[in-house]
Amino acid sequence: MRAEARFFKSLSDETRLKILWLLSGTEELCVCDVIDVLGITQSKASRHLRYLYHLGWVTDRRDGLWMNYRLSVTPGSPGEKLLKLLEEMLAPQPEAQVLRGHLERCLEAKRDSKCAKRLDASRKGLPQRLPET
Amino acid sequence: MRLSGYQINMKKEAQLFKSLADETRLKMLWLLMGREELCVCDIMGVLGTTQSKASRHLRYLYHLGWVTDRREGVWMNYRLSVAPGSPEDKQLKLLAEILSSRPEAQALRDRLEQWLAAKGQSKDGAAACQCS
Repeated sequence: MRAEARFFKSLSDETRLKILWLLSGTEELCVCDVIDVLGITQSKASRHLRYLYHLGWVTDRRDGLWMNYRLSVTPGSPGEKLLKLLEEMLAPQPEAQVLRGHLERCLEAKRDSKCAKRLDASRKGLPQRLPET
Repeated sequence: MRLSGYQINMKKEAQLFKSLADETRLKMLWLLMGREELCVCDIMGVLGTTQSKASRHLRYLYHLGWVTDRREGVWMNYRLSVAPGSPEDKQLKLLAEILSSRPEAQALRDRLEQWLAAKGQSKDGAAACQCS
């Protein structure tokens, strides 16, 4: 039962638990969403997301400078049941609902595209194309 | 928009998952799910652990509210402590589903049965678990 224990260990950290909870409520999240909702640094968000990635909880998709993550569990797998357990444990908690509310607000605000702006700003510093030689 | 989700307290839930993040504790819960009550000596016998390790993990589960205890002579007995239909009950059922898919889960249950049968045969179980 070592694999299960390891899975539970990935949920035994408050930040990872919150990240998984956020991901289970939406299709895909950018690292910047996690940063904004949880108010943590980029390095912390990315570190925990990579941890979840290596355990097989999430898959990644690069979009420009940012990484996007989504839950990756096959139907009927132990991982799916674990996620159900996570939902079962967190859904009745008011804190968990507050967090989902944070996410909603954040995604709404993103429609004025903070993430996109940030992305543009960071791109400005980079050459659009390599100079031709 | 920068929100402060880090301030939202989910420590208790993380703690609960931490209680499941140990192989020995998972096995103990699994054994308890199949029985009404187990003595520390049963857990020791089936898992082949020392008394101190078994008791330590069982106290851990006790303090998180997974189990309740009942003293009988020098031994402690433990049982799952969840009200039927409660969220905890649902959680345990899901946990049982997850664990039952493991081949070693069935083997553990078989060992428990063997152990309890052997204990029943010996004089009021005393010899098998040194419960005297």
